[in-house]
Formats: sequence, structure tokens, C-alpha cells
Amino acid sequence: MGQGDGRLTARGAAYLDVTDVAKRFHDTPVLEGLDLEVRAGEFVSLLGPSGCGKTTLLRIIAGLLAADRGRVRLEGVDITRVPAHRRRVGVVFQSYALFPHLSVADNVAFGLRAQGTPAREIAPAVARALALVRLGHLADRAIFALSGGQQQRIAVARALAVRPKLLLLDEPLSALDRKLRETMRMDLRHLLRDLDITAIFVTHDQDEALTMSDRIAVMNAGRIEQFDTPALVYAQPATPFVLDFVGMSTRLRGRVAGADGDLLVIDTAAGRVRAPGHAAAGANVLVAVRPENVRLTLAREGDNAVTLKVRDHVFLGSKLLLHFHASEGDHAVAELPAEAGQGVAPGDAVTVSWAVDATLVYADA
Amino acid sequence: MPLARATAVVLWTVAAAVVLALLAPLIVTLAVSVSASPVFNLPPPALSTRWYERTLRLRDLWPAVRLSLEIALASTAVSLALGTLCAIGVTRGSFPGKTALVTFMVSPLMMPGLVVGVAILQALRELGLRDASASLLIGHVVITLPYVTRTVVASLTLFDFTLIEAARTLGCSYPKALVKVMVPVLAPAFLTSGLFAFLASMDNYPISIFLVDARHKTLPILMLQYLEENPDPTIAAISSGLILVTIGVLLLADRLVGLRRLADF
Amino acid sequence: MPEASLATPAAHTALASPRVRVDSMALLVVPGALYLAIAFAAPLALLLIASVVRDGHLALDGYARFLADPFSWTVLANTLRAAGLTTLICVLVGYPTAFALARARGAVQSALLAALILPLSVGVVVKAFAWTILLRTDGVVNRLLVGLGIVETPVRLLFTETGLVLGAANVFLPFMVLPIFAVVKLIDPRLEESAATLGASPRYRFVHVTLPLTMPGVIAGVAFVFSMSISMYVIPTLLMGDRFKTLSILIARSFLFMRDRAMGSTVAVVLLLIAVAVVAASAIVTRRWQAAR
Repeated sequence: MGQGDGRLTARGAAYLDVTDVAKRFHDTPVLEGLDLEVRAGEFVSLLGPSGCGKTTLLRIIAGLLAADRGRVRLEGVDITRVPAHRRRVGVVFQSYALFPHLSVADNVAFGLRAQGTPAREIAPAVARALALVRLGHLADRAIFALSGGQQQRIAVARALAVRPKLLLLDEPLSALDRKLRETMRMDLRHLLRDLDITAIFVTHDQDEALTMSDRIAVMNAGRIEQFDTPALVYAQPATPFVLDFVGMSTRLRGRVAGADGDLLVIDTAAGRVRAPGHAAAGANVLVAVRPENVRLTLAREGDNAVTLKVRDHVFLGSKLLLHFHASEGDHAVAELPAEAGQGVAPGDAVTVSWAVDATLVYADA
Repeated sequence: MPLARATAVVLWTVAAAVVLALLAPLIVTLAVSVSASPVFNLPPPALSTRWYERTLRLRDLWPAVRLSLEIALASTAVSLALGTLCAIGVTRGSFPGKTALVTFMVSPLMMPGLVVGVAILQALRELGLRDASASLLIGHVVITLPYVTRTVVASLTLFDFTLIEAARTLGCSYPKALVKVMVPVLAPAFLTSGLFAFLASMDNYPISIFLVDARHKTLPILMLQYLEENPDPTIAAISSGLILVTIGVLLLADRLVGLRRLADF
Repeated sequence: MPEASLATPAAHTALASPRVRVDSMALLVVPGALYLAIAFAAPLALLLIASVVRDGHLALDGYARFLADPFSWTVLANTLRAAGLTTLICVLVGYPTAFALARARGAVQSALLAALILPLSVGVVVKAFAWTILLRTDGVVNRLLVGLGIVETPVRLLFTETGLVLGAANVFLPFMVLPIFAVVKLIDPRLEESAATLGASPRYRFVHVTLPLTMPGVIAGVAFVFSMSISMYVIPTLLMGDRFKTLSILIARSFLFMRDRAMGSTVAVVLLLIAVAVVAASAIVTRRWQAAR
């Protein structure tokens, strides 16, 4: 069932190529000239807050909505004008959209029948699809007799039964409770990887995006702010929006005092810090660092170090978060192994340090 | 897609044709009522208000209008009371055979009006009741009750009773909570079902024909009598009056609950 | 009208044994139910009994005479045929109209709704009367038919069954459109989209998703319109006059003009049994439809 091995196809084009797609509803622009390239076999997340346009983009790719301009190409073929039922793009909806008047087996068989599959091939295909999600024993059940998790898996089985070229999933796990969601994430990921299906997954949950994706497209107000692997999105967020939306961070506003070789010297309310980057002296910037890079131990040579007062002490089981008092608009947080924070109480003044290389800098409007 | 567009064209053509067909009788009636000719010619050769003037001079008309209104208002009021109680019992109480009971409560709508009228007439005769007004009221409550029961049951089924509990935690007693929280939410259901019940009663012929007597006639009976005895555009004038009043009532109902709610009768 | 689901919330005070739970709230249904039992069910039962009992013993000769008379069968056939044709036209015209209503937005939807509800509230006498004017040889319908080239010369429609069916279909159409509309409104639009993404063409989606899901509304509409059509009295009286006898006309004449209560009762019970059969059939079909899913 392979559709590719992750490499670009022969002509050098991406497996799914979305170009300059724009859409407005009444007078509100929802997507603004967006580009997206997905490779064969890839699992891409569209991550963003509600209203950022991720579902709209998904519906345009599925053919359920027409874009105002732009093109969608799948395996090199322009499908922009092709109606949804001929695109071979499968969709798993947030509400599952299982047909209430059909049994589980008939739901899974629906696409096969609609496309004219010979009758004798249908039962085995349905059995295979149900086996993929380990629900073969529910074939004759009615839809309303299923739990939320079961319905979700049937929806996936139904979409996969017709061997789509591309699978789109619109927040399929958001209706499930936490434990189930975490299990389903892994199940889904393994399933899609085993079948080598190219998938685009819409979510507003950053943990989901980080754990499941090959690449994440972080969206904000109709634009893709960053499209990178989870590691890069987390460690090197391209914009303050991505910085804030994915993971936590220390944010300090400051002003560039000067340069020191390749490093910028920045004055913040908490003290002077250095960061890799280029900016004019006097520029307003935002300095950030991820919490796991912040240490409580003695600063090493060349590290950034500031002294702050502890505000909150948050115990998370295996680790500890320390939130610090900072001036207005700033925020400081450190993540430590649980033992390291022992003996530190709210109100204590502590010196925290981090490597200069781990410091992020953004222009501050 | 050409097929989708062709389907849309067919759909809207049918809808437009239906609108015209549904409104045609009303337009025709209005047109004939202002025609100068005593024969039902369209388009009218000349305009005149003489038929409306005749309406005002008809002796039997106004008592019939009055009787119809009284019966309609009274039966609607009784139905609203009985039907709402029943709906509350059905949705909030527990007892076996609920579906059967609701089906029974709604069944008068599906039974032939003439048969029901005959049956009630004969039963009342056995009991010795000959008063036309009382008989009409009894019969009309039978046909208006289903409208109220069905609409209020549907509305109550959708009503979130935790709202009542919230009101109680905020200091309202149970009856007060019902009045302050449930009644406003149910008001559209009352209005809709009350309106349809009222109109069903005003319009009813098959039951009324058996329960009226020579001195007490309801409006539909009187109108049919006129039509059979001396068909002239006076009947169109009366009908037009009804149409205009109904338009007024519907505009009011739309202002109060919205036309879309009325579709949930 | 979607079937209201009757979930039973926590009981207030259980009065009867645990096997059959009846609580104090249930008593609220008594006034209404009792009223209908006394004012509606009892008289019908009495009518039924009176039609089969004479002088204290069972006498089915009224029915025997009715069934033996070929005229009765003509009347029965008239009634069922007119009702059947009216219902058929209402389904064919009403189904697309319900969809148009569901898809319309804003002012267009309001206009459509107004066009459906206004005639409902005006009264059957007014409408039947208007149709006597519309169906005249020089009336609007004929002018339309000639104008569209469907016929060459005006057709006689008044006092014909065609005219009756047209008029009745027009009067009862809202009772077909509104139940179907109520069900169409409830269909999740994602279901059709889902079917499209699974490769179903628009035609396939209609036949296999939309149609089955709207069936309960169609069944309700058909039951409504058919029962109203078999019972209609004012419309055939005005549009057909004396030529065409339906069961209702026969009943009215028996009681009001011929003073033949015996025959009137017999025919009334026949009509009642047909109406009950329609209600039962629609309930069975609906249940069969839900269960098969």
C-alpha cells in the first residue's frame, strides 16, 4: 500500500503541493496566499489556535470548499477544480460523521460500494480495514451503540478502506478524554506509518502535534508562520507567536546595547544578556529561552545569568517548574528535575543561568 | 459541476412554482373581492368596493364571526392548559406506555373530522346536551389539544432542566424557577401551538357542522352556506378580510417568535 | 416532526411497585388524557359499537349491505384514488420544496416559509372557493396550460377529478413540506461531505445518504396528507359538486340531508377504520425503517 518513500517524486515536485491559496468569507480574509508542500508518506500537522484557518485549508485540500485563488496539486496532477468525490482524498471529521442509518460494516463499505467495487471484494476489504483498527468484532453493531473512541476508529477505518492518496484528519481526537487520546495518538501514528499513508492532521493541541508529526505547520491568522520538524519548531521557533504557542519559555524585553563579535549584548529588566543574532544598537528586542535550558547551578563561563525571585513552585511528578517574578510583560520559567528544586521556596532570590547559544532573539514591535 | 447546477435550477424552479401555486388562491380571492362584476371574472373589468359594503350589511355574518372567535379563544386556552400539563407529565414523569400516550394525544389530528363530529354529536345527544356553544367547545378542544401537546412535548424534551437547578441554587423556589426560567424558554412553543390551535378551530368545518344549530353558526359553515346559496363576490370580500387579518397575525407572530419557529408546529 | 425521545429523568416519588414505576409527576397527564378519552375515544367507541349492535345483539347487516352495494365500492375507489393521487403529487412536489426551504437563507427562506404558512392559516373554505375560480375554463390554470403549450384549447377542470386533485394537493402541500423540512434540517451536513470524500458521486450520495435519512419525514408527511385527503369534505363539495362521491360526502349527506343515521354510521366507521389503518401502517413502516438501520 506504499505511496512513496518520503523522497520527492521523480519530477522533483512534492506529493501534495498547495500554492498561493487564499480564501475570504464575506469580508473576512481567512487564508492569505498560503503555500504548503507535503512529501509522500509524511505526517504533517497544521497547528494553530481556533480561527487561524487550519480547518479551512483542510477543506480546500479535500475539495469541500473552493479557494478564491491558488492551486492544489496531488502527485503532480492539478486537482483544484476536481470535485471532492473524485480526488481520492480521505477525511476523518471531528464529529466522525458516521452514517447513522448504516451498521459499522456498511459504514466501512460505503466508499467501496460508492466507487463500484465488485461485491465479492467488499467483505474482505471491510474485514481488513476493521482489523487495522482492531474492531472486527463490531462489524454488525449500530453506530449509536459505540463509544467515542470506537466511533473514531471506525471513522478512520472507513476512510482507509478506499485507499486514499492522502488522508486529512480534522481534530479527530479532540472529543476523547485524555488517557484515551494519548493511546489513540500512538495507535493512529503507527497505523499510518505502517500503511505509508501521507496524512495532514489539524489540531490546536501542541503536544499532539509535537509527538505525532514529521513536520509541523504552525498557523496564525491565515498564514503559516513556521513549517519545520517538531525539534526545530520547539528549539528554534521562527516568530514570537510560535515561541508562545508551542511550549513555554522565558520572555524578557530588552534593548540592544551593542555587539560583541557575533553576539548581541542586550539590556533587560532582569540584567544584561548575550544572544546570537544581528540587530542595530538601540533596537527593541524580545529575548527568550526554553525552560529546560535554564539551570539553578553555578553559571559556567560565558553563560547568561540573572537573579530573580521565585514566584511559584509547580510540581509535575518527574520534574519541577519554577516561575519567577519579572517586570511587566516579562516572564521567566525554569524546568528542573524534581530533586534539583528542593529547598527552593517562593520568595527566595535565585540566580539562574543558561547557555548563550540557547538564547533566542526576536524583533519587538 | 453541471449536475449540481442543474439540480439547483430544478430545485429553485420547483420552489418558485410552489410559492406561486400556494399564493395564487389568495391573490385570486383578493382580486375578485374588488371586482365590480358579480361574476367571477379575472382580471376584473372594473374595481369596486361594493362587496365589502355588502359584507358590513350581512346580518348573520358578525354573530358567526363572534361565535367562531369565542370558541377558538376558549378552546385554545383550555388546550394550552391541559396540553402543557400533559407535556410536563410526559417529559418529567415516569410511567409505562409514554409513546403510546403521546400517540393517543396526537391522534385526533389524523382521524376524519366528519367521523369525530358525528361521534361527538351522538354521544352528546345521549347525554342530553343540546347547547350549541358548549358542544362546539367540547368538540374544538378535541382538535386543538393535539397541537399543543405535540409542540410542547417536543419543546420540553429539548429543554435543559439543569437551568431550573441553577436557578434554585441562586435562590429561587421551584415554582418561581419554573416561571422565571422555563416559561420564557417555552413561550415560543406556547405561541406557535396556540396560534395553530386557534387557526385550526377558526377554520374547522367537519366537526362544527354537526354541532351547530340553526341559530348558532360558525364562520366556515356560514361561508360554505353562502357559497352554495348565492355565490357572488361577497364571499370573496369576507375571505379577503380573513386573509388580511391572518397576514397581520402572522406578522405579529414573526415579530414575537420568528417565522422559522412556526414551521415547527 | 421529529419523534420526541422520551427519556425518564429521576423519579420524584415512586407510587407503585418497583416493576412498574409511576411517580407523582405522571399524574399531570391525567386531565388531558382523560378529556380525550371521554370526549374523543369514548364517542368513537360508541359509534363503532352502535354500528354493529342493534336491539341488543350483534348486527353486521349494515356492513353487509354496504359491501354488497357496487355503489359503495365506487365511492371507496373514488376516495382512495383521489387521496392517493393527491398524496403522490404532494410527495413529488413537496420533497424538492423541502430541500429548497432548507437550503434557502435569510429573506428567501422567510418568504418561502411565509408562502407555506399563510395559506395554512387562511382556512379551507377560502382556498377551495379560490380554486373554483382558478380552475374555470377561462381561469388562470387553463390560461397557463394553453400559454405553456401543454394543451391547445382550455381543458375542463372544474367538476373533474383532475381539478379536485390539483386543488387538494395545493391545500395539503404544506403538510407534506413541513415534516420533511423538519427532518432535512436535522441532517448533519458533514454526512454528505463525508460521503463525497469516500468517492460517492452526487447521485449516489442522494440515493444512499440523503434519501434514507429523510424517509421518516416523508413517511410522516404521507401519513398526514393521505389521512387528510381521505377525510376531506369541503374541497370535493366545492370542486366536484354532486357528481363525485367520496366517503366523507356520503357521511355528510346521510346525516344532514337524508337522515339515514344507520348508513351514515356504517360509512363513518368504514372511514374511521381506514384512517386508523393509515396511522398504524405509518407507525409500523417508521419503526421498521428505524430498526433496519
